[in-house]
Amino acid sequence: MSALLAAQEIEVGYGDMPVVRGVSLEVRRGEAVAVIGPNGAGKTTLFKAIAGMLAPRSGGILFDGARIDGLRHYELVKRGVVYVPAERELFPQMSVLENIELGAYTNYKSRAERLKFVLRVFPRLEERKRQMAGTLSGGEQQMLAVGRGLMAKPKILLLDEPSTGLSPHFVSEMYRQLARLKAEGLTILLAEQQIPHALAFAERAYVLENGEIRLFGPSTELLGNPDIQRAYLGMA
Amino acid sequence: MNTKRYLAEYVTLLLVVVVLALVPLGLGGSAYYLRLATMMLIYMIYTVAFNIIFGHTRQLFLCVGALAGCSAYVSVVLAMRMSVSPWASIPVGIVSAAVLGGVFSYVSVRRGLGVIFVGIVTLVFSMIFANLILGLREWTNGETGIETRGLRPDALAPGLASYYVILGVLMLSLVFYHLLMRSRAGTAFRAIADDEFAAELAGIDVTMYKVLAATVGSALIGAAGAIYAYYSGYINPTVFGPVSVDIAVLVTLLLGGMGTLLGPVIGSVLFAVLDEVVRPLGGLNVLVYGVLMIILVIAFRHGLVAMLRKVTKVRIP
Amino acid sequence: MIAILIDGTVQGLQLALMAVGITLIFGLGGVLNLAQGQFAVVGGIVAALCINAGMHPVAACVLGILSAGVFGLVVDRTLLIPAYRCAGEERLLLGLLITLGLSFVVNGFMDYKYSDISLSLRLATPSFDVAGISIRTASAAVAAIAILAFALLFAFLKATLLGKVIRSIIQNEVGAELCGINPARIRTVIVVLSAMMAGLGGIAQGLFSSLGPEMGNGLTDYALIVAVVGGVRSINGTLAAGVLLGIVNAFASYYVGAYLTLIILLGTAVFTILLRPAGLFASRS
Repeated sequence: MSALLAAQEIEVGYGDMPVVRGVSLEVRRGEAVAVIGPNGAGKTTLFKAIAGMLAPRSGGILFDGARIDGLRHYELVKRGVVYVPAERELFPQMSVLENIELGAYTNYKSRAERLKFVLRVFPRLEERKRQMAGTLSGGEQQMLAVGRGLMAKPKILLLDEPSTGLSPHFVSEMYRQLARLKAEGLTILLAEQQIPHALAFAERAYVLENGEIRLFGPSTELLGNPDIQRAYLGMA
Repeated sequence: MNTKRYLAEYVTLLLVVVVLALVPLGLGGSAYYLRLATMMLIYMIYTVAFNIIFGHTRQLFLCVGALAGCSAYVSVVLAMRMSVSPWASIPVGIVSAAVLGGVFSYVSVRRGLGVIFVGIVTLVFSMIFANLILGLREWTNGETGIETRGLRPDALAPGLASYYVILGVLMLSLVFYHLLMRSRAGTAFRAIADDEFAAELAGIDVTMYKVLAATVGSALIGAAGAIYAYYSGYINPTVFGPVSVDIAVLVTLLLGGMGTLLGPVIGSVLFAVLDEVVRPLGGLNVLVYGVLMIILVIAFRHGLVAMLRKVTKVRIP
Repeated sequence: MIAILIDGTVQGLQLALMAVGITLIFGLGGVLNLAQGQFAVVGGIVAALCINAGMHPVAACVLGILSAGVFGLVVDRTLLIPAYRCAGEERLLLGLLITLGLSFVVNGFMDYKYSDISLSLRLATPSFDVAGISIRTASAAVAAIAILAFALLFAFLKATLLGKVIRSIIQNEVGAELCGINPARIRTVIVVLSAMMAGLGGIAQGLFSSLGPEMGNGLTDYALIVAVVGGVRSINGTLAAGVLLGIVNAFASYYVGAYLTLIILLGTAVFTILLRPAGLFASRS
């Protein structure tokens, strides 16, 4: 299986401070890969670099065989890289429907079918479609953010902390929908602090600590790793 | 003793006073050029003040002319209508400018207004000022303006004496600037200009220092404004307008170098020369200043002093 | 009394036309355009020159508005680029200073070259009667133009894709980029649109009384106040603030006199800015 996305020894920082150092990872087609690690490990910075919101200081990022580091995010959307940040970044005074439709900006004319698909995946959004996005609950906003991202026909979906601030019920529902999307061929890279869901969902995971990859491998292996168990799963 | 540490500053101040003191000798006795040189000194004071307010604490006061005019009109009207001696009314004018500047600063900092809002509020103030002068015409003669020739003290009558008096005031303001910058306030200013949020976190009372800078700067502007009112012999709202004062001060400070001691001095000298060169163009001089301002802001933001520092590798203050 | 209300509303609409451009450029480009009034002057003077050269007034006005737009395009693609390279407050300050310099450049040039030219559009019938109240035809024309312009603007923003894209960038530039939108390209559209709105405002000024080359800074100042009071990111707010300030201005002028009115108006504006810096009608987001 070829890697759809690969980061090679990338270093990302703000000003003088490197936040992510020498990180290499890859995501193969159709896989779900998780990046786990504590707060401040650099997960968001890493994702921003991969998504083109930040330029890496060194190293390269490859997508579908081509170098994408240095390109801005809006150029990557057309290529199939869709990023859903932890802050969601919705349009608060626009309706749910308008938010979703704008997600299809890169293929706007043919958005109708995609819209039907997304509204099937997230029926709650269909119910609320005329509501202002700013008035939705946290869970609904997360669904909207993912739904908007899906409208761009992504080849890979980058999800940063999709379960933050969501009730357990919403988290389960969201991962259920993600599993469904994965089954239909979507490649997913997600960053999570909530380990159990992430490792249950993703086949492989990378552990990011202090800006560096500490550990990586199949999720089942990591779950059985005593260090991981102690640090992240609260088991003695 | 801090002599060694501030040697550069002392030498600079000395050089400035010597060079400027010698200027009248090189003017060949021309009253016209002496007047130009004296005006240059007055604008230098404006620029030193604006340097403190904007150059050091990033408060975009787009009302330098209005503050100067406020002080000038207060002083002149008191002298004219209430027969107060100029020596008494000038301080009143200065205080009024200082209070206004301090209030704008205080309210802006308190309300957390960003740099553009301060700019807008001060811009609006300069509009209010112009209209107040026009509207209160029983006091201010409105557009016609006021002749101050009869009111002025001899020390400010055009001539060699007034040049040196005003030079004295300028040197006082430069020395004051130096002392201010080497005090705790100066360190606070540098921290605030660098990163206001971090300065606040480091325990610096940002409000107090910004208001201090604004008040002190506005007082200086008031002093220069009042002096100008008597020296020039005539005031009306236009001479304190944005085209006469604010753009000159902005260009001068950008040209010379914000946040430096020598910047306002060099900038003013150059601007005075430029002003003369551009004079035959009449109304087009405003265009030249606009173009210059755009070029400076885009390509030469740090001013001449910074460039000289780089070229000569000397720490010019 | 009604006459004053009408007068005030019309003036307010014209102010709003000038101000909406500032709101758009600030909301989208993050730049406070202190040369907005100069766009109006450019449009107005071009129109006046064309009329003097014998062109039909309507054609001249259209040409004026278009030239304002072209001027805006040139400014955006040249002078503002250094500002766009920065972000946040740096961009704000740099943009402000650049446009301030530009306002002096245009002011100086216009005042020098065309100081004796002004745009003064006179209509065939100076006034007409409605229900016993005499209304200046010019006022009606200005009101009609402004209302039409705003209606078109709202329709454009609400219904077209480009309009939605513009709204999305104003509300969340990052979010827009996530959808694959290139903010820089849209910014240019906005600057051109704003310049043309200003040009229209200049034409309206020419209808209402007259537009001279020295009026640029004054127009900018008033537009600024309206934009800030209404909320620099809210177009509805700008329209409402414009009309409100126009009405207040009309009534205050009638009862209190011109200068005091201005001071009251300006004082109210300062007061509003200090009380609610985000503007009277800013959305709580």
